[in-house]
Amino acid sequence: MEIKKTALAGTLESSDVQIMVSQGTNGLEFDLVSDVAKQFGEQIQATIEDVFAAYDIHNAVIKVVDQGALDPVIKSRAITVCQRALDQVDQPRWEVL
Amino acid sequence: MVASERLRRTMMFVPGNNPGLIKDAGIFGADSIMFDLEDAVSLAEKDAARYLVYEALSRFDYGDAELVVRINGLDTPFYQNDIKAMVKAGIDVIRLPKTESAEMVQELENLVASAEQEFGREVGSTHLMAAIESAKGVVNANEIAAASDRMIGIALSAEDYTTDMKTHRYPDGQELLYARNVILHAARAAGIAAFDTVFTNLDDEEGFIRETKLIHQLGFDGKSVINPRQIPLVNQVYQPSQKEIINAQNVIMAIQAAQQKGSGVIAINGQMVDRPVVLRAERVMALAKTNHLVDQEGNNIEE
Amino acid sequence: METIQEIYLTNPATKKDWQRFLTSQGLANFSDQELAAIDKTFAIYDDQDQMVGTGSIAGQTLKYLAVAAAGTSKGARFNRLVSTLETTLSQDGIFHLFVFTKLQYEQSFIHVGFTTLAKTNAGLILEKGLPNVASFLAALPQKPASAKQVAAVVLNANPFTKGHRYLVETAAQKNDFVYVFVVEEDQSLFTTEERLRLVQEGTSDLVNVVVATGGPYMVSSLSFPAYFLKDDSQRVSYQTRLDATLFKEQIAKPLGITSRYVGTEPLSQTTNQYNQALQEVLPPEVQVELIPRMKESAENQQVISARTVRKAIQTGQIQDVTDILPATSLSFIEKYLTDLQARIKKGQKIDGN
Repeated sequence: MEIKKTALAGTLESSDVQIMVSQGTNGLEFDLVSDVAKQFGEQIQATIEDVFAAYDIHNAVIKVVDQGALDPVIKSRAITVCQRALDQVDQPRWEVL
Repeated sequence: MVASERLRRTMMFVPGNNPGLIKDAGIFGADSIMFDLEDAVSLAEKDAARYLVYEALSRFDYGDAELVVRINGLDTPFYQNDIKAMVKAGIDVIRLPKTESAEMVQELENLVASAEQEFGREVGSTHLMAAIESAKGVVNANEIAAASDRMIGIALSAEDYTTDMKTHRYPDGQELLYARNVILHAARAAGIAAFDTVFTNLDDEEGFIRETKLIHQLGFDGKSVINPRQIPLVNQVYQPSQKEIINAQNVIMAIQAAQQKGSGVIAINGQMVDRPVVLRAERVMALAKTNHLVDQEGNNIEE
Repeated sequence: METIQEIYLTNPATKKDWQRFLTSQGLANFSDQELAAIDKTFAIYDDQDQMVGTGSIAGQTLKYLAVAAAGTSKGARFNRLVSTLETTLSQDGIFHLFVFTKLQYEQSFIHVGFTTLAKTNAGLILEKGLPNVASFLAALPQKPASAKQVAAVVLNANPFTKGHRYLVETAAQKNDFVYVFVVEEDQSLFTTEERLRLVQEGTSDLVNVVVATGGPYMVSSLSFPAYFLKDDSQRVSYQTRLDATLFKEQIAKPLGITSRYVGTEPLSQTTNQYNQALQEVLPPEVQVELIPRMKESAENQQVISARTVRKAIQTGQIQDVTDILPATSLSFIEKYLTDLQARIKKGQKIDGN
């Protein structure tokens, strides 16, 4: 699937993660800001990439600012940002949940 | 314990788009946790909150708490997707806001049933409750409470209700007296739970305790709380007295004695013990246990 | 629980409370110009309904951001404010934002995903979101691998004159490759699109020259607002140094630019101040080549200025400026003269830049 528009989901508040997605041409280009990047960076990235794969998005610029979010929170924000970037906010993809 | 006998002293409201509050919601000992997709979430974040609560319900451990979601009203574009997502997540109870008629509950029930089929959930396993937030809702409280077998409770939501009544909330609660009694009667007549409204001024602990004592006296199952700090205060008010515990223990022992004798008749001091007395005794013992006044075997714990 | 909400500075009582809070936090510039730029303002209130934090949006820039310290919650308040402002911007389709701030707040912004664009002793500018400076650079035409001497020229070109052409041509003769950046801000008589087009057409014969807009990074209302609006000289000095630093660090360094060409500036004090800042900030990594401005003719020693062209458009005396315009600019002006004059009549200023 092609990204239709730049989208943002999540907040900068404690235990949350903010994800911004924009059109890309070079695979999933990932940029992470997190206090725990060394420890959990790969895991955070994997969770987000799984969601993008489920939405069949293979090219995107993804900017992530983590404030200590747990995995279910990361997954939900990734789902939100994909639905928004695909301009399908009102048509949830139930199989991805 | 059957659903109707479940303790529901506290229903803690948790804003549906706040991960920090959602992840910790299980640690405060609330009997019910209500994730809010409605008033606590801005229009632009309705989708985000729905997915967040979905993932939280699927993955976080909330122990024995009853899990409730307040969905957006049926006049909103979020209503149907909220229902589908929450049914798929396996929520215990869906709470319908601004309920004014039995038809609204029945419409919800139909959508819940088809979502249960769509996502392979046992039909009938999703319970419902209704929030009464207007004069019309109070007037129709009886039919609302009895609208569906899935109903487990009705709740008063005082902010919108007092606005509809052209008043606002006062410390003595006189403005809510009629609605509280109507809702309570509707609940009891239908055999479901009655939940009282929130108390928003966190600094007025005295006022909160006064209001909780009032609704406890009236007979409500419990109170809606907006902050974990309010939970022990409610539990304190709902805590049974030593005398109530001893009476309840007597009833339980009489039941055990009757069972050992193989007798169908339960009696204390020569008086027959009928079903409401047994139910009350069970409820008192459940309250005593959860307040750690007795241990799991029913032995008194010394202060 | 603390609440965050949008507040309306049109309400005098709210505005007074807001100014009182900001003043208590050490922010005190409430000039009409700054206040007029504000689009939206949010505030955090504590349990006692006291303002404990605020932040505003002006275009794509965060302004008037301050939070009161209270134990450990300062960071939480700061994050909540920035997050709310960012989400609000995103709902208006803006995903790229800037902030000017004091040096001591740099880490707070970096912690929530901002990156520093330029830093001087007086303050710094950070950006966040997409498209960012990396996307801007990636979208530029690539210079040939063999190019060693690489020059840059930044022009508003309102419109492109023979003076501009002379500057670009000089750079092109002395360098292997030249980037010409056209000011992106759409505040001039000629639109950004028209200015870009006239520069492209007027330099199309120069094979080692590429033309692009400068994005928000070069002489923009962001990096150098005083270029478009009058301001006091201390602020101009701060802005020019910041703009020059931004060019050096974010543009020249990654693109391998070794010199920047500018025309001497006998006419505009602000531009002159800007040239000075470039000379102070850019060397030694980037040489500043100050090229004397081209004169109108041997008889008329007046330097060629786009302003002379704009005045001629206003009066309709195009014949007076045919000698100082490349053929491409001249034919455009002749074709669209009435339209350009209508813009001036509608209030488009022609005296500034």
